[in-house]
Amino acid sequence: MRVPYSYLKEQFADSEAILRDIKGLLEATQYTLGPAVAQFEAAFARLCGARFAVGVGTGTDALFLSLKALGVGPGDEVITAANTFIATAGAIVAAGARPAFVDAAEDFNIDPAGIERAITPRTRAIMPVHYAGQPAKMGAILPIAAAHGLPVVEDACQAIGAAIDGRLVSSFGVAAGFSLHPLKNLNVWGDGGVIVTGSEEMDATLRLLRNHGLRGRDAVEVFGYNSRLDTLQAIVGNHLIKDVEAITAARIGNALALDAGLAPLAPRVRIPARRAGERHVFHLYMVEAEDRDRLLAHLLARGVEAKIHYPVPLHLQPAGRRLGYREGDFPEAERQARRIITLPVHQHLSREQVDYMIEAVTDFFRTGAPR
Amino acid sequence: MTEPVRRVKYMDLPRQFADGEVARRVAEEFSRCQFILGPQVAAFEARFARLCGTAHAVGLNSGTDALCLALRALGVEPGEEVITVPNSFVATAGAIVMAGGRPVFVDVNAEYLMDPALLEDAITPRTRAIIPVHLTGAPADMDAVGAVAARHRLPVIEDAAQAVGASIGSRRVGSMGAAGAFSLFPLKNLGVAGDGGMLTTGSGEIADRVRLLRHHGLRNRDEAETWGCNSRLDTLQAIVGDAVLDGVERVAETRNRHAAFYDRALATLAPRVVVPPRRAGVSQVFHTYVVQVEARERLMPFLESCGVETKIHYPIPIHLQKAAQPLGYKRGSFPACEAQSARILSLPIHEYLTEDDLQYVVARLTEFYYR
Repeated sequence: MRVPYSYLKEQFADSEAILRDIKGLLEATQYTLGPAVAQFEAAFARLCGARFAVGVGTGTDALFLSLKALGVGPGDEVITAANTFIATAGAIVAAGARPAFVDAAEDFNIDPAGIERAITPRTRAIMPVHYAGQPAKMGAILPIAAAHGLPVVEDACQAIGAAIDGRLVSSFGVAAGFSLHPLKNLNVWGDGGVIVTGSEEMDATLRLLRNHGLRGRDAVEVFGYNSRLDTLQAIVGNHLIKDVEAITAARIGNALALDAGLAPLAPRVRIPARRAGERHVFHLYMVEAEDRDRLLAHLLARGVEAKIHYPVPLHLQPAGRRLGYREGDFPEAERQARRIITLPVHQHLSREQVDYMIEAVTDFFRTGAPR
Repeated sequence: MTEPVRRVKYMDLPRQFADGEVARRVAEEFSRCQFILGPQVAAFEARFARLCGTAHAVGLNSGTDALCLALRALGVEPGEEVITVPNSFVATAGAIVMAGGRPVFVDVNAEYLMDPALLEDAITPRTRAIIPVHLTGAPADMDAVGAVAARHRLPVIEDAAQAVGASIGSRRVGSMGAAGAFSLFPLKNLGVAGDGGMLTTGSGEIADRVRLLRHHGLRNRDEAETWGCNSRLDTLQAIVGDAVLDGVERVAETRNRHAAFYDRALATLAPRVVVPPRRAGVSQVFHTYVVQVEARERLMPFLESCGVETKIHYPIPIHLQKAAQPLGYKRGSFPACEAQSARILSLPIHEYLTEDDLQYVVARLTEFYYR
């Protein structure tokens, strides 16, 4: 049996309706900030229970533009997690600031106590990451931010629909960045991103910044950027946003089945604690495993396309070492990087595929894979 | 006797994809589901490089990003100065600011292009690069600009956003500096159905660096060599661009034919209408056909009332924009640019115009000045 990581061919096997709308766009030609963008933004804001959503070029840009809208620039520091996709820190650097990393907690999410310790007089913002689709511990993070008067920008790129006690991600910070990358729970046919905010002022500033700082056709209020969600991608998004609840439910269902199937393998497989009241949307299904590299090889040999998100924490990347970080700075993120493994959890998996993955992992630990 | 009103649109995008060919290609190619940097991007890049006579072309999210990433690849540091012109689209200066640099402007000559005679005076010890703009689709005087740049060992980045296919002798724009930046915005001679950009270069090192930067600085899936950003030409837009590229030489020929018609027919209206100057040995592509006119504030609404859509590229020079206030320029800083900005007018020049359309435009201009 094969358990592939990507499911795009299944997801888009029947895309007649989307292609019809794209053909319509090619005839109507409002390629840049056309009506489909405003329609998608409104639907996205509704989905998040927020007042405003701004369609931008990428999830990376969503974070970058949020920081620029807050006035972040050279000399500033922005606090974020050491264990995230590289783009979180890349967005901070692109904004002219320096990423200040914080270690992970046992659930793979940023450790709030580490945030407190990372604050300096130069700190300008805190960017917690809702890693893998699990909300960061906002209940602990928000009071720290408030005590220091620091804005919170949520990296929600992997976490559309995630919530804490019914409160959706994007409602905690001054802004939240989402990615619409093809492998995200809510995806488009290329790059795309969305910023969600409750602030009218942020919304207005972000709309300026994404479109060259232009107020009207001719007046340039500030030097801005070109980061607009393509109308074409908004058309795809408008079709797929209707599916996001069903996609999320399917992923959660698969994750629960994996949790139950892998639980007997403790402690060799460690499933992070599932906290009551938290809605993890499982963009990634991650566990820790002993002998991870051999397990990965074993799974790949059995046709299970497992992955590692990510094997090198940001502070140990060549780009991160140049900031002065070194091995040992974030022991938990470093330890996890050697043990984490990601199993396919997507909405197109069958029950048989899920069972097959459980069996393959179980076999590895029960009988031991050939060395 | 009055002629019936004829609608002469500034641009006729719906005609571009009316034959359904692009929709057919998108429908056919999308099913590979390689939405991010799919093989179609590399194929389009290779053809674009051939068109420009460069060894490399790198597909990006926008022309703005092409300029910004060229500057980042050259290592522009915060506070360093980059010289350009004040009569460009604001993105030229925006890209410099985005890269952390400070825009320094030099005035333009009678051809609306960087005046090489003024360039030397703008160079300071902090100057890091020079960006001449091939405005309207006319190449800047690259020999003179290049000579000054070489004397000061400064790299030249060509802003070729409006000028794909233009040349000086046998040298195409995009091949004469360290790098060339192109926009694939829908209204460009080579436009896609959304945002897109292209960087051309003869330098393998710059191409490699920009390929890293556009994709999060990732050397491979897991290793971030440098902090980057996310600026990838969508596969879908590469499919569109590849189809449009088939006709790009023909578009330039048609626009040149229209320009020659205007040149002849409008000569009789001199000096009230001044046609764009021509330079021997230079091949323009007429992204815009910019004349200088008397009484523009009355002429424009008159033409509008006759059904002729005109535009101004651009009514407010960049140094007089609100965004530029911190740069310390004032009215009078660039007299040639300022004088032109009060008189310039862009006439419809697109490839779908008929000779009747052109004659109608000329007749209305004549009527305006002789009635």
